[in-house]
Amino acid sequence: MLWFERQVVGTLMHPDLDAAARSAVESYVSTTLHSMPEHLRAGVAAESIVLGASSWLENRAGRLDAQRLRTRVARWKTSKVDPIRQYVRLLESLVLFAENELVTEDA
Amino acid sequence: MKTQPETIDTDVVIIGSGAGGAVTAATLARAGRSVTILEEGPSVDPDALEPFSLPEMVAKYRHGGSCAALGRPAIAYAEGRCVGGSTEINSGLYHRLPEELAAEWERDYQIEEFGTASLDRYAERIEQELGVSRLPGAPPASSAVLERGATKLGWRSVEFARVFRYEPNGRAVKQTMARTMLPSAVAAGARIIADCRVSRLVRRGTRIVGVSCEQTLPDGSTRLLLVRAGHVFVCGGATQTPALLQRSGIRRNIGGGLKMHPTVKIAARFDTPIDHGDVPMHRVTEFAPELTIGGSASRRGHIALALADSDADYTDALANWENVAVYYAAIRSEGSGRVIALPGFRSPLVTYQLSESDMSRLARALVHLGEVLLAAGATELYPSVTGGVVARGSDDLVQWWDALTRNRANLMTVHLTSTVRIGENRARTGADSFGRVWGFDNLRVNDASLLPEAPGVNPQGPIMAVVARNSDQFLADT
Repeated sequence: MLWFERQVVGTLMHPDLDAAARSAVESYVSTTLHSMPEHLRAGVAAESIVLGASSWLENRAGRLDAQRLRTRVARWKTSKVDPIRQYVRLLESLVLFAENELVTEDA
Repeated sequence: MKTQPETIDTDVVIIGSGAGGAVTAATLARAGRSVTILEEGPSVDPDALEPFSLPEMVAKYRHGGSCAALGRPAIAYAEGRCVGGSTEINSGLYHRLPEELAAEWERDYQIEEFGTASLDRYAERIEQELGVSRLPGAPPASSAVLERGATKLGWRSVEFARVFRYEPNGRAVKQTMARTMLPSAVAAGARIIADCRVSRLVRRGTRIVGVSCEQTLPDGSTRLLLVRAGHVFVCGGATQTPALLQRSGIRRNIGGGLKMHPTVKIAARFDTPIDHGDVPMHRVTEFAPELTIGGSASRRGHIALALADSDADYTDALANWENVAVYYAAIRSEGSGRVIALPGFRSPLVTYQLSESDMSRLARALVHLGEVLLAAGATELYPSVTGGVVARGSDDLVQWWDALTRNRANLMTVHLTSTVRIGENRARTGADSFGRVWGFDNLRVNDASLLPEAPGVNPQGPIMAVVARNSDQFLADT
């Protein structure tokens, strides 16, 4: 999983999850992204690089703002540009499914 | 130095072990043929994992369930990748091919001996062997919802049969290929090699002389295999079969014409708890086969996904998830797609273009689904449309007509067909009336790829009947 994907996944996770649950969800998302068809994974990775460029620069400068990232992700979720909307939808669906199946089962 | 592959000799090699491959294997092995089945996915005990759970998705679904046909909009799809194929992960609903479709396909594609009289004979055989049945008692609440809503609206609904057997203790057991046809094939002498991915077919003129593959062993190491066979059946399903043929240089009318049943969903909330252990057996057939309404797997994870699709605040509904279930409306689509093997990539590119008429039909499907759920007593409906209003009464449904656009629709499907169509009309088909690939003496396709169009119903029954018919024809011919 790329750096920006990890940030987005962290943003999409339920804030009440404990560290172990967050790690389990992140691990599931990472495994699933890895097992996607190569061309789809390449497309998602390319989007991560493009969409994450400004966040990466902010992070390098020590100014990455979690709230600002959350606002960005929420805006992308309803974007009229289909690939951007689908990007967030993909990551959100993986997070949600894991949170509600994996974490709930463990609990 | 290049590693030499180990060689296996067999009369017939069958690539894929789902509804197509398993029926072919059982039919041929019982007739005394030496049969080897190559399955890309693992062998998983059918009782080991909870149906539709996350561990099952990881173990049995291709790409862990993360596949999509690209287009506007992209359409998510799921297919099995394990011994038994998609029969291990589907709902087990069973239909025969509708009579009017059989007649239409027979005429349009010039398919020989394809009438209902012929297909029904095979369907009957399959039904007897697998055990196709209806519920022994009253339907669960999730299924009764559809019946109740349809009755109130004066629409037709029906409880569909499933490939299930009921044990004396009442336990319902889905008759997957790993439980039925494959053990039968093995008992008759067939051999199954799991975790074995076929890279290409080895051609010599108009014959396929072998199959090149790589098996992953339990310790993670791999071995190369060359399976030499007199006859080759490709049964990998509507995406993998054309991809393998294309990788092997066989492209004429292969991979185009992909068909599916694009599907919209609604997460419906009720005042009382809904069961979540099974997929509803009732379907609203008022608009069939162009549009069918039914119920989906509704574990907590599925409900969360369906609720999130609308982008409305669903916190309260998810906290009350025991009262929520997921329902769908699937259409027969005018659009079509392609499967394209990309050089250097293991997975094919899958595309699908919905027509404008499809988009209208999906909007209509969503509204009808909403109507039947409200009539059944649902109090809140979350549509699979980004920004779609949560409907609490029939007045809200009106807004869905305009809400479902290419930029907002969240679609999925589980039925993919028609990438190597059969028939004597060579301009439109990739294989003859019995699945033999044009231009080859000993290469046959025998799976969902052969259906000329999407059948408008769960395709497992039609696939198995056509495959059984083709297998009998093969035995008669060779």
